[in-house]
Amino acid sequence: MSQFDIEKLPKGSKGFMYDWGSDQRAFKGVPWGKAMMWIFLLSDTFIFSCFLISLMTARASTVVPWPPTSDVFALTVFGVELPLLLIAIMTFVLITSSGTMAIAVKYGYEKNRKLCGWFLLATAIGGLTFVGMQAFEWSKLIFHDGVRPWSNPFGAEQFGAFFFMVTGFHGTHVSIGVIFLFIFARKVFRGDFDTGRRGYFTSMKSDYEAIEILGLYWHFVDLVWVFIFAFFYLW
Amino acid sequence: MTGDKKQVHTHKLGIYLWIWTLLFVFSFFSYMVDYLNYQGLLRWSLIVFFMLAKAGFIMAIFMHLYWERWAIVNVLLWPMTAIGVFIAIMAAESYYTFFSRMFYFVVGS
Amino acid sequence: MTDEYTDNKIETKSADSSSGSYSPPVEKIPAQEAPDQELYHAKSFWTKWVFCQDAKVIGIQYALTATAIGMIGLILSWGMRLQLGFPETFSFLGPATYYQSVTMHGMIMVIYLLTALFLGGFGNYLIPLMVGARDMVFPYVNMVSYWMFLVAVLVLIASFFVPGGPTGAGWTLYPPQAILPGTPGSEMGIVLMLVSLSLFVIGFTMGGLNYVITILQSRTRGMTLMRMPLTIWGIFTATVLALLAFPALFVACIMMTLDNLLGTSFFMPEIFTMGEKLDYAGGSPILFQHLFWFFGHPEVYIVALPAFGIVSDLISVHARKNVFGYRMMVWAIVIIGALSFIVWAHHMYVSGMNPWFGFFFATTTLIIAVPTAIKVYNWVLTLWRGNIHLTIPMLFSLGFIVTFVNGGITGLFLGNVIIDVPLSDTYFVVAHFHMVMGIAPLMVVFGAIYHWYPLITGRHLNQTLGKIHFWVTFVGAYAIYFPMHYLGFIGVPRRYFEMYDSPYMTSGVGLNQFITVAALIVGFTQFLFLYNIFTSWYKGETSERNPWKANSLEWHTPDYPPTHGNFGKELPVVYRWPYDFSVPGSDKEYIPQDVPPSQVPTAKAEQT
Ligand code: HEM
Ligand SMILES: [Cu+2]
Repeated sequence: MSQFDIEKLPKGSKGFMYDWGSDQRAFKGVPWGKAMMWIFLLSDTFIFSCFLISLMTARASTVVPWPPTSDVFALTVFGVELPLLLIAIMTFVLITSSGTMAIAVKYGYEKNRKLCGWFLLATAIGGLTFVGMQAFEWSKLIFHDGVRPWSNPFGAEQFGAFFFMVTGFHGTHVSIGVIFLFIFARKVFRGDFDTGRRGYFTSMKSDYEAIEILGLYWHFVDLVWVFIFAFFYLW
Repeated sequence: MTGDKKQVHTHKLGIYLWIWTLLFVFSFFSYMVDYLNYQGLLRWSLIVFFMLAKAGFIMAIFMHLYWERWAIVNVLLWPMTAIGVFIAIMAAESYYTFFSRMFYFVVGS
Repeated sequence: MTDEYTDNKIETKSADSSSGSYSPPVEKIPAQEAPDQELYHAKSFWTKWVFCQDAKVIGIQYALTATAIGMIGLILSWGMRLQLGFPETFSFLGPATYYQSVTMHGMIMVIYLLTALFLGGFGNYLIPLMVGARDMVFPYVNMVSYWMFLVAVLVLIASFFVPGGPTGAGWTLYPPQAILPGTPGSEMGIVLMLVSLSLFVIGFTMGGLNYVITILQSRTRGMTLMRMPLTIWGIFTATVLALLAFPALFVACIMMTLDNLLGTSFFMPEIFTMGEKLDYAGGSPILFQHLFWFFGHPEVYIVALPAFGIVSDLISVHARKNVFGYRMMVWAIVIIGALSFIVWAHHMYVSGMNPWFGFFFATTTLIIAVPTAIKVYNWVLTLWRGNIHLTIPMLFSLGFIVTFVNGGITGLFLGNVIIDVPLSDTYFVVAHFHMVMGIAPLMVVFGAIYHWYPLITGRHLNQTLGKIHFWVTFVGAYAIYFPMHYLGFIGVPRRYFEMYDSPYMTSGVGLNQFITVAALIVGFTQFLFLYNIFTSWYKGETSERNPWKANSLEWHTPDYPPTHGNFGKELPVVYRWPYDFSVPGSDKEYIPQDVPPSQVPTAKAEQT
């Protein structure tokens, strides 16, 4: 029986036809968990798209002016009013954590347990910072500016509603990611992926590809933020 | 699953750092669009351009889509056409809603 | 019934059709790409039968739960029918309760019965067996999926008991009325409905990811996509649709929950109730309708596509002929699936949406009819000159074809804007969707249960009861829904509690009574069917291995019925599609998928 070697398969569009025409796997060389995460993210993309499409509909059809986001989210630093400052910092933090995540995945595949763990931890802390700043932003908006899901002093009612819903849903994603990052950082430091220790719930072994899967999720959260940043804050 | 034959993505650290920097630069630019208060079509196109560029780099490099085989890449990108149609229809719909609101509630009353 | 197959070898009339250039295929076993799946082996009663990770058991759990809630949906329909047929005699169902019955009936039937049964039930049971896998790829997640579904069902049932009762907003749950006082169940009922739907979506996503990845990534050696049974193609495409369509429902549920509980105005415009202005302003009810139907139309195909797939297999097996145009069938399924995302607003022709949309959506809707019609032709051509055995699965399949054609044709009516405008919200629509997504898929469900019951239990269902079940259901369904077309034409509106002395009802009263009687009889027969299922489990005639002489892998497991891990020590290797029946030149009447060409050297089998 011949040995399966992914490097020998045709690539590009020929590879496309080959893979879909072949047996066993349509996604050659893609482990189950990773394929599953990708399809889940596709589904999740549809969720966020529906949120953002609804936002677009509300904004484009409102007869009451939409609040000027760059003023609403401005911060005054040393007497200078900077538009969207906090949002810019939040973006910075999330992108940073995405970078550390990518590096953690890289070290994971190199089976560099220590570095992988530390970068995971850094990512988790980045995520935590993001959630913290979001909490700050929410409380500023609620307590200082009087924005509520059902009303706000700046204009169209839907502004508050969409703000809390969309950032809340994204924030939930970030928080879930942070929890998993901590769990997996612990697993990595403990060496679960080297010793083949079994999972508590599933009683299955896993290895460093779990880190890549987690990474996909985390990058996705970052990706969604890119769109929220553009459509909600900048638009 | 263990011992599975799979593609392993180990790339040089450099490429991640590069993309990382690029993402910062693009974010900075899109922030500047707002700071400099560009309006109209210019703002619209710049925001969308930077957004798509960032999204593209995250997907291609950080999420390794660039190195994946076409089978999975196509599966992930084609469904976006459904979203595209949804966006187009809802844009048209919301202009119509706006029109009828102006017509019946604002102008008409 | 068992030995009628063996004597019935079709003489091969058309040896000339494959004359000349025939060469037996080269035997090539592909290399295995991944090591065997490691399974969780249950040790206690709990992990074996309750919190079970075996997809077969999960499938049965799904099916039983879906059936149980479906029975509630059925009983609700009796109440509605009694009210409509004999409003004077049976007055226990006030207007509010009627609305609640309509709503819960519709939602239960579409989501909690059919979707769960086809994808959760048949999907779980059949996917790993038919593609040659040991189990779903993530059995643990699969188990959690079922328990989420159960919780969703329990929340739905709980809504019957909260103050104000379940929601009566219609299964489409349109705001603003769904959450305003005046609609029954606008207090807690609607909230529980939205929560239940959200839980369903979450649970389904866990299961659906499993089904998709199992089909894509866990097939056995030799099992190419174009060798999969059409059952799997139908379930696969439907699951993909569900994964991409449920998000819209989920989002709509979240937004409506917020409108209701927090007082946001996503969907709520400025509203006066009883002279008082409410706090809502500026929302767009039509946005909800778009989100709902962006989900809702694919949902129709989530129910229909598995039925399409399963019925193709049933017809092929019970007519001892290969599926006509297998590849065409696959492509039709995929194309229907893709197109179903751009037709949704044909449900909104009278909603007040942008008037130009009518052109676009009518066009796309009518385009979808093309691949659908192709499928119908292919079913008929599969039967053409087949060796048709009028077994119960075959009877139900034939019933499906007729019913589906009927519902499809009324669908063409409704797809055209000018015809839809007078017909929408009449009984014509009720007749249409019951034919096309109520009765037709149910026919397939029944046929499939009669077909696979021996695989699951090792016993046959009682044939006499089965024949009664089929004829009463089939004739009865027409007795119920055929007159409804006429009621629709004379203008009887849908979702009306009572017609009183309206001029519409001069000829309608008698019909309504007739329909009600038929509905009661048909409903009763379903309980007979359940009785059959439960008693045959212990008392049914034992079935020998592979009683229908089918080719697909699920019938060729080492243990019969299949046990945990499905395929014993080694996974099968697949050499052909599952439709090698009556192959010219072969001395066997059927060639299972795992028979290598060298064992049937003379067979001029289709190259797949
Ligand atoms: C014996 C079987 C059945 C009977 C007698 C029956 C009867 C009814 C009746 C009387 C209505 C209310 C029509 C109206 O007032 O607008 C209705 C609605 C509905 N039924 Fe059925 N039905 C049956 C089976 C099914 C099945 C299997 C499905 C699954 C697809 C289904 C799906 C629906 C839907 C979606 C609605 C619309 C609910 C709404 O208006 O919100 N029904 N049915
Ligand atoms: Cu439709």
